[in-house]
Amino acid sequence: MPLPKFEYLSPKSLEEALQLLADRGEGTHLLAGGTDLLVKMAHGHLKPRAVIALKQIDALGGIRFDPGKGLFIGATALLDEVASHPDVKAHFPSVAYAAQQTANVQIRNMGTLAGNLCNAAPSADNAPVLTAMGAEAVIAGPKGERRVALDRFFKGPGQTVIEPGEILTAVHVPVIPSGFGTSYQHVSPRGKVDIAAVCVGAMVGMDGATCKEARIVLGAVAPVPMRAEKTEALVRGKALTPEILEKAGRQASEEARPISDMRAGAEYRKRMTAVLTGRALKQAAEAAAN
Amino acid sequence: MKQLLTLRVNGITHELSIDPWRTLNEVLRDELNLTGTKLGCGSGDCGACTVLVDGRSVSSCLTLAASVDGKEIATVEGLAPSGEQLHPVQESFVENGAIQCGFCTAGMEMSAVYLLGRNNAPDEEQIRAGLSGNLCRCTGYNQIVEAVAAAAEKMKPS
Amino acid sequence: MEPFQMIGKDVPRNDARAKATGTAAYADDLKLPGMLHGRILRSPLAHARILHIDTSRAEALTGVRCVITGQDIPQVKYGNWRLFPDTQDEYALAVDKVRFIGDEVAAVAAVDKDTAQEALELIDVEYEELPGLFDVESAMAGDAVPIHDHCRNNTSVNRKIAYGDVEKGFAESDYVREDTFRVHAVSHAYLEPCSALAQLDLDGRITLWTSTQVPYIVQCLLASTLEMRENDVRVIKPYVGGGFGGKMELRTWEFCAAFMAKRTGRPVKFTLNREEEFLAGRRRHPMTIHSKVGFKKDGALVAKDLKITLDGGAYNAMGPTATFLCGNFGAMLYRYPNYAFYGRHVYTNKPPASAMRGFGAPQSLYASEIQMNMAAEALGIDPVDIRLKNAQKSGDKIPDVATISSCGFTESIQEVARMSDWKKKRASLGPGRGIGIGCYSFISGGVFNWFNTQYPFSAAEVRAFSDGTVHLLTMASDIGQGSDTALKQILAEELGLRMEDIRITSADTAMTPQADLGSWGSRVTLMAGNAVVDAARKIKERLFGALSARYNLNVIYEMECREGRVQPKGRPDRGMSFGEAVAMVQKASRGEPLVARGSYTPRDKGLVTPAFGFGAQVAEVEVDRQTGLVEVKKMWTAHDCGTVINPKGVEGQLAGSIQMGLGYALSEQFVMEEGRTLNTNFLDYKMPTALDMPPGEVVHVETYEPEGPMGAKECGEGLASPTAPAISDAVYHATGYRCKDLPITPEKILEGMNAGGKKKS
Repeated sequence: MPLPKFEYLSPKSLEEALQLLADRGEGTHLLAGGTDLLVKMAHGHLKPRAVIALKQIDALGGIRFDPGKGLFIGATALLDEVASHPDVKAHFPSVAYAAQQTANVQIRNMGTLAGNLCNAAPSADNAPVLTAMGAEAVIAGPKGERRVALDRFFKGPGQTVIEPGEILTAVHVPVIPSGFGTSYQHVSPRGKVDIAAVCVGAMVGMDGATCKEARIVLGAVAPVPMRAEKTEALVRGKALTPEILEKAGRQASEEARPISDMRAGAEYRKRMTAVLTGRALKQAAEAAAN
Repeated sequence: MKQLLTLRVNGITHELSIDPWRTLNEVLRDELNLTGTKLGCGSGDCGACTVLVDGRSVSSCLTLAASVDGKEIATVEGLAPSGEQLHPVQESFVENGAIQCGFCTAGMEMSAVYLLGRNNAPDEEQIRAGLSGNLCRCTGYNQIVEAVAAAAEKMKPS
Repeated sequence: MEPFQMIGKDVPRNDARAKATGTAAYADDLKLPGMLHGRILRSPLAHARILHIDTSRAEALTGVRCVITGQDIPQVKYGNWRLFPDTQDEYALAVDKVRFIGDEVAAVAAVDKDTAQEALELIDVEYEELPGLFDVESAMAGDAVPIHDHCRNNTSVNRKIAYGDVEKGFAESDYVREDTFRVHAVSHAYLEPCSALAQLDLDGRITLWTSTQVPYIVQCLLASTLEMRENDVRVIKPYVGGGFGGKMELRTWEFCAAFMAKRTGRPVKFTLNREEEFLAGRRRHPMTIHSKVGFKKDGALVAKDLKITLDGGAYNAMGPTATFLCGNFGAMLYRYPNYAFYGRHVYTNKPPASAMRGFGAPQSLYASEIQMNMAAEALGIDPVDIRLKNAQKSGDKIPDVATISSCGFTESIQEVARMSDWKKKRASLGPGRGIGIGCYSFISGGVFNWFNTQYPFSAAEVRAFSDGTVHLLTMASDIGQGSDTALKQILAEELGLRMEDIRITSADTAMTPQADLGSWGSRVTLMAGNAVVDAARKIKERLFGALSARYNLNVIYEMECREGRVQPKGRPDRGMSFGEAVAMVQKASRGEPLVARGSYTPRDKGLVTPAFGFGAQVAEVEVDRQTGLVEVKKMWTAHDCGTVINPKGVEGQLAGSIQMGLGYALSEQFVMEEGRTLNTNFLDYKMPTALDMPPGEVVHVETYEPEGPMGAKECGEGLASPTAPAISDAVYHATGYRCKDLPITPEKILEGMNAGGKKKS
């Protein structure tokens, strides 16, 4: 279907973009990669009055790593740039992996990691592990910049804390402390290239065989990517034996609140939550040891 | 209001005045008559519309023409500009039975060119991954995978 | 037999270069001056009476040139082609009722796509909603609302076949089992969405370029629905981006493009988008298959009683033919001494199902093959051995169908078992790994002539030139399968020419010889191939005559066309070049061009098909027993397509079938809710990608089919059947979950394993 008619704006600076966003008001949408926005428009679900493209704003691009401050992923950094960036691969392997698992080659060459978060699909590949790692959204608005941890960022399917007039400028991922490891696990019916039916991100801190800290985030089993806090409490202070991992899986599947939709049934999603939580904890613990 | 754009497509500069809601796919096919790039789904899932923008493979159906102002676009028509000697990827597709109905072919070739540009000696799994954003209903992919491997061989610096 | 020169060679496709360079033009690539863009308004309701349609606001929109509804067009029905008056149930645009979500209600033609789209939204339709019937059980219930007024119980076709005595057969059996299988709808998912462009010629006639498998049938049906004469409609098939059975009827946009071109005097093009293709497109029939089979202790089949109900959706489309064929496929492949079939085609308020690669065979054979394995297990016989025991052989007569001529089925089973190391793997694969088998036989074109034509089934014209070239004209439709190339190879072989000596023009109903019934039912290689051979032989006779006269040859000489020359066998010195021979014939006939017509119509070949292809396939899978995900590790195929004309072409057909079978078995399905298709994009309609495709190994069990051109017969359509049962059997072997209800989803596997699916021994 042809796209609806809209005004196209391509500011060169963040200030200009914020000003345009304020001026144009309701019905104005931001365009980073466009891979979600254009699909919605093509299917007639969205008819924006104006579209503000962010690609020309140099300050929003790029990926920066600082061993002290962590990783900054700019709003227009492509999924492929995240997946193939040497620093991301070296220091944040699960972030690179999740980006690599998002959609297909072409979409990763157009779509952005920030856009994947702003689209706020419950199944967003990049949300669980970033949330587990304590990443935060850097948001610019008329009143300046604010930072929101990702576990408070999502409000519902397609909804985030970003207010009208605000722009997500970057995602900040803190340095993974020594003794910590991460993992991203997902399952989908087509096997290799697919939207996740269930996904799990985990970060654990290990002291020998004992898990001293754990953050577990479940995707596609609730309206937003959700922390499995009871599961985190269950594994904290325990050795991650096969029995504990199985218990943790059961606990996570109890915490999950999935629906049945065309991608999977609720029962299957619960079961996969258990399987993937166990696998994620195991892999994260192994990563912590290395 | 129409946007004034400069697109460099296969090395040729085009000055265009375009509605902002036009996709790159529409501009290539309708304005520039470059119909080698197909439209298979319109939502970035099938890869038939794949072109290169500044060297990256993208779905032209999900790319606003206005957003690629000033960029270098490569389409299937640019692979063998002389019209005589085929690009090694095209040649391998012809020789290896990689083409049946041909509707996915241009997109497959562009994905293959992109892949080989990044990795000049991909193994089979890497080729499959590189083509996994392009759907084909005729060939079962295997002869396409063989064609890309053969093209890599031909393109190997001697 | 002498070795072939051109047959069996990996000749690159005729159109490969055009497709590789992006210069091959498909219907949507075509543009004409002043061309209008069409769009179709579709029903949002599954079942409703149309009370009123107001098009005035749409007509008033600037740029709109034409708006039509069912009231504006000649009230001529089509459906299941023609001739069977009671199966014709469809108008190009809905007249009184809409019967599925996506049913075509009105059409708009405007100066550009944006305006056409905008105009659609300005058409007001008032509906009176009727109860929707979404499954065959409720549609057949006594109190169900008729979806078509003429049709009681919403059952549009009842088809019976019976021979032998099944009851007696079951009584004599040592082992009888009954099972019910359910198979689901899947999409053809050809990459090229349907598109058609119509132009009004200067003399008032119509030319239509359309993405179709059946140009001649579109010509006939379009003419009748436009109330024009057949020859006043010219249908040209440009390059077509796949069909698989989904482009073998007259469709609404073809009619509307032509009708609106007549109305406006301007060219009109319609191109569907993918959402429309998935929402309203044709699909493979879902079926409920109830099968009762009886065996002797040693595994010999005694009797089969097969009852199939097809969920046809809102219109017949090609469903009646599929119903007919299901009955035949139920008794193919193995020897069934006693057989009964009862097939019903039932209307529901869903998008119409129709022909799709296999035309009823993938469904029917899924049930037969799985049931065969269940019986083998109960009888303690290896699945391979029970198949060898019952396999059809050359010379077998299938009652009311045909006598099988060439048949490499037994060899196919043996080969595939050998290649896959069947016995060892079946006995020793570890947990989560499994191996399974599926087999098929398929028709090489249909004889059932439900499309009445005064013309041969296939025809070819060969024009020979004194420069040593020939021009082949045929209405056979290359939709991507490569028939243009195969036909050129056949002609090159027969005339001793090279591929580059042959120009081909195909599938233009005004230019290519009448007629050809199109690309479906694996008919083209055998039927059009025979027509080409027939024409070529007529050319040769003329050339041989000229040669004979030139050298005053004794009549006992056998002559040949070989390597560009025409010569007596064994006496190349008494020969001349092909071009010189053509020139002589032309001289002798005072300038008359050397042209010959050939044709093929199966005669005395029964009512089903002149020849059968066969094959067997083994799948090896690995199942993640925690997630239920299946990975197909490898596919082995041994098949008999007679003489292989183009090995790469055959292998491409085969791999393509595996991709489709893989999707059918594991990942593809329409998710429906109250008649609405929910997954209308490739994100949620899960077609396997390059990463999902397993490697394969193939053996061509070559036979020589006496009825086929150079011994060739069907290839690539029969292979749509064995993949799903082979994978399904392998999943059973790996997990103990036996799927009688496609597709095999991870959810079903886990449930099946939970329910105490038998551990493999």
